[in-house]
Amino acid sequence: MKALILSEGVDDPMEPIRKEEFDDQACGSQAPKSKPCPRPKPGEAAGGCSFDGAQITLLPIMDAAHLVHGPVACAGNSWESRGSLSSGPTLSQYGFATDLSNNDIIFGGEKKLKDSIDYIAGRFAPPAIFVYATCVTALIGEDMDAVCKEASGRLGIPVVPVNGPGFVGSKNLGNRLAGDALLQYVIGTGEPEQETPLGVNLIGEYNIAGEMWEIEKLMNQAGITLLSRITGDARYKEITWAHRAKANMVVCSRALLGLAKQMESKYGIPYFEGSFYGAKETTYSLRQMAYLLNDREMERRVDRLTEREENRLSHDLRPYRKILKGKKAVLYTGGVKSWSVISALKELGIQVVGVGTNKSSDEDVQRIADRVSDDTEYIPEGGASRIIKTVRERKADIMIAGGRNMYVAMKEQIPFVDINQERHKAYAGYEGLLRLAKELVDSLDNPIWRLASSPAPWDKEDSYDR
Amino acid sequence: MSKERLNIPDYNTLFTEERFVQQRENKKQFEAPCSAQETAEALAYSKSAEYLEKNFDRKAVVINPHKACQPLGAMMAALGFEKTLPFVHGSQGCNSYFRSHLSRHFKEPTPAVSSSMTEDAAVFGGLSNMVDGLENAVALYKPDMVAVCTTCMAEVIGDDLSAFIGTARQKGAIAQDLPVTFANTPSFIGSHTTGYDAMIKNILSQLYERSGLQAAPGTGEESGEKLNVLLGFEGYTGNFAEIRKILNAFDTKYTLLGDHSGNFDSPATGEYEYYYGGTKLDDVPKAANALGSLVLQKYTLKKTQDFIKGTWKQQVSAMSTPLGVKATDKLLEAISELTGLPVPASLIEERGRVIDAYTDSHPYLHGKRVSLVGDPDLLIGLIGFCLEVGMEPVHILCSNGDVEYNDVKFKEEAEALLASSPFGSEATVYVGKDLWHLRSLLINDPVDLVIGSSHVKFAAKDSNTPLIRVGFPIFDRHHMHRNPTIGYQGALNLLTLIVNTVLEQLDNNNSGFNYDLVR
Repeated sequence: MKALILSEGVDDPMEPIRKEEFDDQACGSQAPKSKPCPRPKPGEAAGGCSFDGAQITLLPIMDAAHLVHGPVACAGNSWESRGSLSSGPTLSQYGFATDLSNNDIIFGGEKKLKDSIDYIAGRFAPPAIFVYATCVTALIGEDMDAVCKEASGRLGIPVVPVNGPGFVGSKNLGNRLAGDALLQYVIGTGEPEQETPLGVNLIGEYNIAGEMWEIEKLMNQAGITLLSRITGDARYKEITWAHRAKANMVVCSRALLGLAKQMESKYGIPYFEGSFYGAKETTYSLRQMAYLLNDREMERRVDRLTEREENRLSHDLRPYRKILKGKKAVLYTGGVKSWSVISALKELGIQVVGVGTNKSSDEDVQRIADRVSDDTEYIPEGGASRIIKTVRERKADIMIAGGRNMYVAMKEQIPFVDINQERHKAYAGYEGLLRLAKELVDSLDNPIWRLASSPAPWDKEDSYDR
Repeated sequence: MSKERLNIPDYNTLFTEERFVQQRENKKQFEAPCSAQETAEALAYSKSAEYLEKNFDRKAVVINPHKACQPLGAMMAALGFEKTLPFVHGSQGCNSYFRSHLSRHFKEPTPAVSSSMTEDAAVFGGLSNMVDGLENAVALYKPDMVAVCTTCMAEVIGDDLSAFIGTARQKGAIAQDLPVTFANTPSFIGSHTTGYDAMIKNILSQLYERSGLQAAPGTGEESGEKLNVLLGFEGYTGNFAEIRKILNAFDTKYTLLGDHSGNFDSPATGEYEYYYGGTKLDDVPKAANALGSLVLQKYTLKKTQDFIKGTWKQQVSAMSTPLGVKATDKLLEAISELTGLPVPASLIEERGRVIDAYTDSHPYLHGKRVSLVGDPDLLIGLIGFCLEVGMEPVHILCSNGDVEYNDVKFKEEAEALLASSPFGSEATVYVGKDLWHLRSLLINDPVDLVIGSSHVKFAAKDSNTPLIRVGFPIFDRHHMHRNPTIGYQGALNLLTLIVNTVLEQLDNNNSGFNYDLVR
């Protein structure tokens, strides 16, 4: 299996795969150092694997076919379980699998893989096929790269091997491996029909609940062209010309920072890490784009746009701010959201009293530190009880986390807002903050919390007097 | 909260606004260069009879699978025992998938851990992951028992669970007396149902062996245990309550072997615990002394039945999920036979009420053509139910049927059952097929309703067939699992669900003159 990964500053001699030659050339001495994806600890309720991470990074390329080379349940467990929206093609929703069984483990599954690729190419005519390694195919030594290369040549469409079997590590590592596949096989293989002097790529934005569309709308209003979406609601073709962008914005740094770094060293495209959660961050991100595009007129346009949007938002938020002011929240979410959502919450007057850091890079943690008060508790690792403990001790009013912790919060009768991949509401941009405010107020406001936390009438001493 | 609410559209309405529609139109330049006409032609072709044939000739690839893998079932089995922590030996993502799967279906947290094997484990074996993992897991989650199952990775490299667990004890990572049961559950063989079977069988046999007891069938009667009951891979917590109700009505003592309903239906008290309910570990060896065992998913629990018959020397009464009146009749007869007790009057009265409901609804169900999708035991139950209310099963699709049960004749039984009624004459049973096959069937030979899990919703939408959600997993509807589907009450619930879907269709599709108040 070929593994090509960025993982700098690895002290652990057991870190299985590393590739350091990119480190120094990434962006000179200014290179932000990110810690390697931590190895999962045995005996804990760990998160997703590299296969999962690789797949979810690329699945939002909506017109491509995504074929899982492995036992059928690797696809069965994962297909159609994310809220990345598509504005058109739906091929990405199909759960394709080679369905390896006992015999294939012994005799090999390369023939099955080839036949599957052929079938998909013939029947669904996708612009590209992504083929994902799984634990099984990596362990039995399938030469996926060769099969993909051969099929690609024969069929005349890109067939991209994604070598991120589950066991190589965490979900984050899988994100990076997917980025690597894009860099190796996709980016730079096509050219846009016309030159776009003001083109920006979004990296690590997956269009959950349509957030990318809100962002794109803002960019368009400012006159910035969104050149390639990597990968929310993407089309295969647009990623092939991502190397023609004038700037990259890394929306989720934990996932695809390596891709931006390598695009900088390979193509000289400057990048920055930003977020669209909260008005401040949104404004900063748009301004940063304009700055990197180095266009005066553009900068003025962005200033006008952000000022107008902020004013409007500030007015619209008034009724919500009244309710949310002084409320305390515990935030337990992955990657970039750990710090960016803090900004959004602060703008609403909410104090973050506890924050998860387990999926955050060192820079993310630094950004968290810049945004919270000194006595905010950092929650370094998972385990529902650890999060709940913080909520209780800090007397938080609300918990903001992902799906796997949602039902624990419900058991503990803690108001909850889901901010993870299954959510159905877009929180990005100015309008997104308004939507988040409404969601928070609705969750805090619901009468079930009072019902849930008050004892049954026969347990109250003076129940009939009330 | 102010009464003056701002209008903040969510994504159902937001993206239908003109500016977003325009934005999407502009994107078409990036898409594969097919004209609208070509796209329409390709879509039409995918719905043609010609394509149906080609689709069924497909050998190479699975498209939209309808099965999960062995360790998922093993995890559900483990959660059926008191304070038992499922431990998935292999790479970590599988554990995460299973927890999400179960949580999304039951809307409950799922405690389970992984040994998180990585590349070094692939080379050197997973021993140190097992030892460290057990030590950490026991310290963190304080279980009374750990139930280890494997993933593909551990199976391919050939880890020896028994030896590894022994080593963990030797090294003091876990206490000598902590029960650690285990099962080999590679995903490239079988499905979630075989994994459930493997884990239940091993928990029973391993706890039994540990205890040093000798099975003495029938002697349990004095101490109260007359009957063992096994529900299998059961997606309905309500079915545990229903079987308890039935057994209590008989006034017989019983032991549920594998009761995960507590873990997936716990109350919100303001304090979350990791473990709720489950079969008591001490009750497992004692179950060897029962008069007999009642198995309610005979295909799923194949190995377990063999164990109970072979080692415990018990009489086993096995059937598929008892859906509908006739199947419930058989269930009551089986309980009566095993315990020697008469069928209680309360259940006979309940039966009469369900028959009454059947007669009330039959005009709307008679001759309705339905397609059924699910695990073998569920399908046998559903076929029986459809036939007894006069619905006509047409396409019956089972991804994990005979293919993996070499010596089990699900297809044969299903076909014999269908042949027993004129309402079954139109049916075809497909085993080992996926939901893309189903799509072709639903489009080319349309039916009135399709019954299956949430995964079926895409094929149902493509073919414009109403989907009635029964089975596992149900991700996109709430609380379906809380209502029983078995027993007379379950028959009534299924009837209500189905007939009201039909009536709603009538209302939705009416042309104005038949928008009736009374149906």
